[in-house]
Amino acid sequence: MTTTEEQLEQAQQFERLKALVDKQYRWIDRKWDAVFWVSAAFIVGAACDITKLLFAGDWDFWTDWKDRIWWPILTPFALVIIGSALQYIQWLAWRFPTGMTYTAICLWPLATLGRWLQWGNFVHYPMNFVWPTTMVPAGIFADWVLFKTKSFILTSVIGSAVFAFGWWVSNYMMIAPYLQPAQWMDRILTVADIQGITFIHSQTPEYLRIVEHGTLRSFLGETQYVAIVFGATVTIAGYWIGQFIGRMLAIWPIGRFMKKW
Amino acid sequence: MMKRLAALLLLGMATTVAFASPASAHGEKSQEAFLRMRTIGWTDVVFSGGHKDANGDIVIAQGEKFTIKGVAKLMNTWPDTLAKGLPRIGYLNIATQGPCVALLERKINGISTPDRIEITKGNYYQFEDTLMGRRVGRWHVHPTFAVKGAGTLLGPGQWFRVTPHAFSTPATLYNGKTINLENYHLVSVWTLQVIGFLLGLIWIFWWTWWGKTAKGNPRRTVTNPAVTLAIPLNDDGLAVGLNTKKDHRVVNIIALATALFLLIGWIWQASAFPVKIPQQVVEYEPPKTNLDAAPTLAEVDARSAKYDYQAKLLRLEIDAKNVSSNPIELSQFVTSTLTFDNRSSGTTPSGPYQDTLKLAPTGTIQPGQTTTLTIDLPGSRFDEEHLLPKGESQLTISGLLVFKDAAGNKSSAEIEEPLQPHYTS
Repeated sequence: MTTTEEQLEQAQQFERLKALVDKQYRWIDRKWDAVFWVSAAFIVGAACDITKLLFAGDWDFWTDWKDRIWWPILTPFALVIIGSALQYIQWLAWRFPTGMTYTAICLWPLATLGRWLQWGNFVHYPMNFVWPTTMVPAGIFADWVLFKTKSFILTSVIGSAVFAFGWWVSNYMMIAPYLQPAQWMDRILTVADIQGITFIHSQTPEYLRIVEHGTLRSFLGETQYVAIVFGATVTIAGYWIGQFIGRMLAIWPIGRFMKKW
Repeated sequence: MMKRLAALLLLGMATTVAFASPASAHGEKSQEAFLRMRTIGWTDVVFSGGHKDANGDIVIAQGEKFTIKGVAKLMNTWPDTLAKGLPRIGYLNIATQGPCVALLERKINGISTPDRIEITKGNYYQFEDTLMGRRVGRWHVHPTFAVKGAGTLLGPGQWFRVTPHAFSTPATLYNGKTINLENYHLVSVWTLQVIGFLLGLIWIFWWTWWGKTAKGNPRRTVTNPAVTLAIPLNDDGLAVGLNTKKDHRVVNIIALATALFLLIGWIWQASAFPVKIPQQVVEYEPPKTNLDAAPTLAEVDARSAKYDYQAKLLRLEIDAKNVSSNPIELSQFVTSTLTFDNRSSGTTPSGPYQDTLKLAPTGTIQPGQTTTLTIDLPGSRFDEEHLLPKGESQLTISGLLVFKDAAGNKSSAEIEEPLQPHYTS
């Protein structure tokens, strides 16, 4: 084909696509869009919650576990996985930079409802001791990075860092009141520590708590910032695990199925 | 077919409900008997506060305080299979059905102990827990001794009935302000969570509902692959009208609003809570007690431990040598949660975890004298507590023999002896 014919075909293809964007389908109206977004919400929220509980369970549950070392390393890593998979799927299929935010707003009501029903109403822990973390602001930032860069590689590097940092800021605001020192049993402890001691959890002895214990490699005491940077690095790994799930466990099998039928 | 399945399902559920009994224990009887006997010896456990009802339950109101005092001995017979035979970190706590009681103070060997302690085999740990009723209901409360690398061992329990009453769970901040742990800053947590959630909802609604295509039509979702699969992955569909410049402007605004929200939130927390510290980990070795320093009154050597299934009788034969300068007498045999008192020595059983032992010969052991003591223990009590290692991998009986002299001095000696069951067919 000559260059002119190629250009002509490209122009025709372009016009066909433009027409397809607004094409009205007879049997597939907007209620199918709503059916998808609403029905997928439960699966996406549950998948993210399970992943979070698998990798960062106790850190998400108790305020006395929400420390400045392990919490910002493990939780963003756990949260970004399903968000990343959804980001790939929704960008590939619809060009919507919504995967992270959608995952976040599916997760939050499910996690909160679960926490309230199981840990608040059933076992009677105060909700200010067992509140779940939020990934909504972090998810918005990661989706914004994808929309601006249109690149999963850049999103994995910049977006994951912004995700981890945004997650830390949005959740640190909530843990702040519980990090105040208080007098308790002849000691100075945080309010979070006191919650952990007062509201008995029989089968998890305190020594199982994995929080900052101190290290000689403390970087002039600025362990928090080191942990956040390391958390961002680990989140990049989590992002690509999510990409693998999205590409290989979701999209690739669908492609095989479509080709077969 | 469906009706049959539904009926079967309903029947199954009804059967489950009908035969299910409320959870009222914490698995203490499911742990192997020989391990429970060889690990912790619980003595002098006393629950006080409130008042007892006709069933023996202690009745307290929500917010009303009560105490649990006692002594836990980390036995020298601690098995090699738990914590590699060397228990090092322990945590004395409470086992009950969740936070139905709240812990206000915990002292171990006279020192306030919020967290874990460093422990040593053979040492005594005198504990005193101050708690308060929190959740209305009937609860079984045990002291516990958790050992890192081993698990949690339960002491004798007591039923509590918590009755309704207005209460709070107070704590005092560094600035002297008293807070209620039940709801402190819960509103702040929810407010911040909900604002973030609403921002996320706006983002999603823009992409699924409010946003339009370049031609101003409602944006579609499930039909988009017809377009998106025909353009490169790094193309945002701007040219074909899938997304628009307005989308870019709107997401910039939402991202900016989110950043502003975080900035305001950060300033709020920094000004509202200027003093913050990381979570604290308190670990220390409690001082030794008088019990640890008490002079030994007797040396013991177990000769036999026999169990008669028909008579439901556990008989221990012990050589006891008085190594003190005064006459002594056996006052108790303690194993795991059970205490057996020698009434002739002046001790009287009280509570569901205590009973009486029969001793022969009765009377005192003179200084320097060695006497073979025959101790008969009611096997039914061992049965009730699942403390007879009948079908376990180690048929042994372990425990503490507590001796005392006329001046009230006490010391305990550990025994460990293979159990010889007299089987009946």
